[in-house]
Amino acid sequence: MNKMLAAVGITGALFGTALVGCSSESSGEGSGDGGKTVVELAGWGASPEEEALLKETLDAFEEKHPDIDVKHEVIADQYMDVTKTRLVGGEAADVFYLDALDAPSLINTGVLEPLNDYVTEDFDVEDFEEPLLNAFKKDDTYYGFPKDFSTLSLFYDKAAFEEAGLEGPPKTWEELSEYAEKLTVDEDGDGQPERYGLGFSKELARQFYKFQPNGAQVVDEKGKADFASEEAIQALEPIVTMYQDDKTAGLPSDAGNEWGGDMFGQGNAAMVIEGNWTIPFLEDNFSNLDFTTAELPTINGENATAAFTVAYVMNEQSEVKDAAWELISFLTGKEGMEIWTSKGFALPTRKSVAENLGYEEDPLRSSFVAGASYAQPWQAGENLPIIMTNFDNQFISALLGEQTLEEALKKAEETANKEIEAAN
Amino acid sequence: MEPAKKIDHSHDEKTAKPKKNPKKPKKFLRKSTKEGLSGYLFMSPTIFTIGVFVIIPILYALYLSFNDVQLLGGIGYEFIGLDNYTRTIDDERALIALKNTAEYVLIVVPVQTCLALLLAAALNSNIRGKNAFRIIFFLPTVTSSAVLTIIFMWMYNPDGLINNFLQFLSLPTYNWLADPNIALKSIMIMNIWATAPFFMVIYLAAMQDISDSVYEAATIDGANWWQKFIYITIPILKPVTFFVVVMGVIGTFQLFDQSYIFSGGSGGPNNSTLTIVLLIYQYAFKSLDMGYASALAVVLAIIIMVVTLIQKKFFGEEKLHD
Repeated sequence: MNKMLAAVGITGALFGTALVGCSSESSGEGSGDGGKTVVELAGWGASPEEEALLKETLDAFEEKHPDIDVKHEVIADQYMDVTKTRLVGGEAADVFYLDALDAPSLINTGVLEPLNDYVTEDFDVEDFEEPLLNAFKKDDTYYGFPKDFSTLSLFYDKAAFEEAGLEGPPKTWEELSEYAEKLTVDEDGDGQPERYGLGFSKELARQFYKFQPNGAQVVDEKGKADFASEEAIQALEPIVTMYQDDKTAGLPSDAGNEWGGDMFGQGNAAMVIEGNWTIPFLEDNFSNLDFTTAELPTINGENATAAFTVAYVMNEQSEVKDAAWELISFLTGKEGMEIWTSKGFALPTRKSVAENLGYEEDPLRSSFVAGASYAQPWQAGENLPIIMTNFDNQFISALLGEQTLEEALKKAEETANKEIEAAN
Repeated sequence: MEPAKKIDHSHDEKTAKPKKNPKKPKKFLRKSTKEGLSGYLFMSPTIFTIGVFVIIPILYALYLSFNDVQLLGGIGYEFIGLDNYTRTIDDERALIALKNTAEYVLIVVPVQTCLALLLAAALNSNIRGKNAFRIIFFLPTVTSSAVLTIIFMWMYNPDGLINNFLQFLSLPTYNWLADPNIALKSIMIMNIWATAPFFMVIYLAAMQDISDSVYEAATIDGANWWQKFIYITIPILKPVTFFVVVMGVIGTFQLFDQSYIFSGGSGGPNNSTLTIVLLIYQYAFKSLDMGYASALAVVLAIIIMVVTLIQKKFFGEEKLHD
């Protein structure tokens, strides 16, 4: 009997520890110390300079709202995967970042709080750039307000231009390809240039803006992939020719770089098409580089560029919705946005703030601001993530010459639509 | 006659006992049952942990694989029978993942097994400093695979160590990370290098178990080093080879972390590093399609089981130690 007792005792003790291990600490949502309301804010990581700027903005908010405490959390990797999983588990932050790309699918699931009832006259919705605001709108309901945006511009190396006897930026894509040829340097003649004329990114996000001026589109009205068209081939042909035949354009990975900014900074490309996040990166890491920016060359005589925007959205399950709105309305309001965009890491989505900060006169940033008026937001229905993956997968093999562009686009469209059908 | 009598006697006693002592059933557990129960009690923490973290998840995954699971915006299950399984047949990415994984298994398992055997044979001979070599060879296995992958990605960079080395030897260089035809092979090389030493240790332990007398007898018969290796060492190691191959196949079928880090979770370039487990991850956490992801996981489990059974047939029913 003693043995039995001992067994029971030991088992009990072990069970106890196991169960203690399982019980989770209750999440500290709702009210915090001293009756302060705690609002959780989640976003992805950024450079230390940007983090500091965000902290400054949040400090300004807390000063104005002494009864609200903002708990800022950075999700370091796989932001959307983590956020979606947390939304399912009811553990997501009250306010979080949402890229325009993911907005349609998340709005459809109903996990975002509609914000129409919170909006006041003072908030001044009219002040936002309309295309950017519409990215987070469905059937006249706002689900988020854009915090900032960036467009794509052409960065070029002034010294390299001088060396090649070129003056000013190329105005059209035809000119761009001529310039690229003059700027490409292949000293040892092995067909692998030491410096590419143009560095570019192969992702759909960086290519789709060429579709519209050619009359092509990414998706049809039903949200299905629709880019296997004559027009889309026309839109993408120039860059494929530059990459394959002329060898005047290269991907960052061809030069051993992580991304275009790095490629440009290290002198592996004389021109790159990048967003305004590249400006502080270049200024910090390559202070000797003499560069400037220009609006993207025209396609078929039309201006075209892409716009990437991110909004603050509210969790539908939040227990502190009023305080969460206070935070959103401050961060996307005139005061908060002015602090947040004051250093030019990202551009303000409010016209009044852009005017106040005078980015239109900034030599490096004016091209980005100019682009905002005709930019196409990076968004195309709720299936875009699937479509994007399939495009990216096939486009690279077309670039490498494993299949023709037509085959690649056809295959990407078919696979994407099959997957979309299976998923619904 | 005597022993028989004794048995009879004891038998009588046993059957008689309950009669003599009718209150015995109060001690309601027989000794053996009691011991068994305390055994189970001792095991219960483990049974509990395995139950919660292994058995229940497996059963739950099976259940999920027959359902269309809606997670975001209100959790909902809808029984859809075998739809998730029939969907795998039409899923091009699933086929690509299966093809990549099979290619990976078919190349990595034989190479790492042979390499492990050769390394073990080398270290089993009486070369100088073999202890130092054992440690050096084993080091890659100790390193975390995530760290290893990141370091290898630096070395695989177009301007990295490996291409520089190849250039130095005037050999062709490759775009190890971004070329769809090469990317999976880069992972293979890395993985063979990292796992072969683990199996080497297992082979080494088994080799040191082989009696010297067998080799001595062979030497007297005039066998040379190579004949001894082929006709003595390898046949005796057959059960170990079975273990090494089975573990290798299971491990390689589950390739995930290396290709995840290599491709940043996408399985690219051009789906060339997409493996089944990576695909399951993408469906489960990127598309939040738990039902289909579970079905794929069940399919993978069945494939591994079948392959293991085939291997068992191939290697015969030998036991590890007879």
